[in-house]
Amino acid sequence: MARIFLVDDDPDFVEATAAILERKGHEVIKLYDGDECLEKLKEIRPDLIVLDVMMPRLDGYKVCKKLKADAQYRSIPVLLLTAVASHIPTTRYTQLQGMEIEAEDYIDKPVEPEELVKRVEILLSRSWS
Amino acid sequence: MVLEGVTDFKGKVLVIDDEAVIREGCKKVLSKEGWEVLLASDGEKGLEMCEEVDVVLLDLKMPGPSGMDVLEELLKRDPSLPIIVITGYATVDSAVEAMKKGAYDFIPKPFTPDQLRLVVQRAYEKRWLEKETERLRQEAERTLQDVAREKGRLMTVIECMADGVLLTDHQSRIALLNPAATRLLGIREREGIIGKPLWEVLEAKQLREAIEEALSSEMSKVISQEIKKNDLWIRAHTASVKDLQGHNMGTVTVLEDLSHLLELERMRNEFVGMVSHELRAPLSAIEQMINVVLMKEDLGEKERNFLTRAKERIKGLMDLINKLLEVSRIEAGMAIQRREPLDLKEVVQRVVDLLQGEAINKGLTLSLELPQDPLPPILGDPQGLEGVFVNLLSNAIKYTPNGGKITVSIGLEGDYLRVSVSDTGVGIPKEDLPKIFDKFYRVRTRETRQVIGTGLGLAIVKGIVEAHLGKIEVESEVGKGSTFTVYLPKRV
Repeated sequence: MARIFLVDDDPDFVEATAAILERKGHEVIKLYDGDECLEKLKEIRPDLIVLDVMMPRLDGYKVCKKLKADAQYRSIPVLLLTAVASHIPTTRYTQLQGMEIEAEDYIDKPVEPEELVKRVEILLSRSWS
Repeated sequence: MVLEGVTDFKGKVLVIDDEAVIREGCKKVLSKEGWEVLLASDGEKGLEMCEEVDVVLLDLKMPGPSGMDVLEELLKRDPSLPIIVITGYATVDSAVEAMKKGAYDFIPKPFTPDQLRLVVQRAYEKRWLEKETERLRQEAERTLQDVAREKGRLMTVIECMADGVLLTDHQSRIALLNPAATRLLGIREREGIIGKPLWEVLEAKQLREAIEEALSSEMSKVISQEIKKNDLWIRAHTASVKDLQGHNMGTVTVLEDLSHLLELERMRNEFVGMVSHELRAPLSAIEQMINVVLMKEDLGEKERNFLTRAKERIKGLMDLINKLLEVSRIEAGMAIQRREPLDLKEVVQRVVDLLQGEAINKGLTLSLELPQDPLPPILGDPQGLEGVFVNLLSNAIKYTPNGGKITVSIGLEGDYLRVSVSDTGVGIPKEDLPKIFDKFYRVRTRETRQVIGTGLGLAIVKGIVEAHLGKIEVESEVGKGSTFTVYLPKRV
């Protein structure tokens, strides 16, 4: 199973989301802001990073941009957790365009467990193949 | 000469004479004319009675204080009091002396009633004229003082105004510039600026042009514009000032400082960002924890039901937060984030596709009627407009019972593109129709009680449509259905 970095500034959200991923047998490393994530990367290399965009100080967009600019980390897939309003079809498209970052995928908060698990598995299988 | 108004209004005459015959004679003659006559038999008594008297008849030769002394005393008290000296036939000299001392006139004894009437009347008129002149003089003085004071006051007001005021003459030379204008226009030196041509001191080209335009315009109009420079944001209103013949005398420009709005805007954005994060983050956490519990397989039916409902309520709260944020954005005049040429057909098609599943789940028929001919593009915000139709269509789905029909149609109507969303739903009671676009307004009937909603959707829809210079109309009949029609101006 995979080793996943889960980065979000809300400890309860991290705890609960980690429980969902751990049920699927993944090893989840809980991190609470962007700096912590970058720091931890020096020690451990994860198979996937689940990254919240709305964080104080270094937000998810900035962390993602840094990772993708770094040859050492570029290949680690990133799944962004976005908190953008409503079910407007173009939101996804505009967001990608506006972000100008190369996150592999993203998922809107609130996150449905099945969807999260599915996307995580797709990203992992893609990078392993 | 008899002054108008004077003959009717007779004053008070004081007669000071030791001879009772003369006193009584005077009283008899003058009373008949309408005078109020006071009598004194000597100077001392006369001095006691002289207050508020208009004319004094004074005998020069009396026992007690001499007539001359009484004359001096009377004039000391009231220098403008007309005093008529009564003299004996042989004492014209003393009459001349009395005149030198300030007596108004003299009347030699014996005198006829006519002579008396005439001399008293004349003295009284003199008195009246003097009083009137004094009154007019005081009035004029006061008016001048008022004008001076008013001018000063006006200047103080202009100088203290938070708004900038700039006046130019007809050759666009500066006529007045208050401190606020100096600051807003970034003029460093205010000293000696009056009379200088505008182009010499004013950097803002936009404003110079507006002033030139106002000066060359025959019509009276106000040119309003916004000037942004660095951290400064000014709204300037320029108008020409015309004389009575309608010639341009110059211009007046009022400058409104809007810079604080920029700061407010920044604070508002920060606050909205903060609120959206601080409210959504705990809800996400709660929901995720519920999700974890729901994953337990040995959960009882009732517990599972409760948790599922708790999740739905959280979703409702999330929706409310999103909509509140959207309303606050619309109210801040930011309903439209960008404008681009759009094919309305595509936008509506996308929304219909998105919600088709939801409609089918509820057993509804959702169909889209498109016109044969291509439609002209509109200028709009794709996300905003999608939001409009998602809202209208979601409402139609929500309020239409199983087996119902929802029809979306697009067409051209004059200068507008029309999109109608019709349903065969519960309809809206007549009395609720005018209020359905209000914030937080929800129609409360038995049929709608079970429907979850925020009461903000239609307020948002209206805000976005109006930001596109469009309009929205609604027709509805209870039990039959509703039709919402959006009109958007086609691109010119």
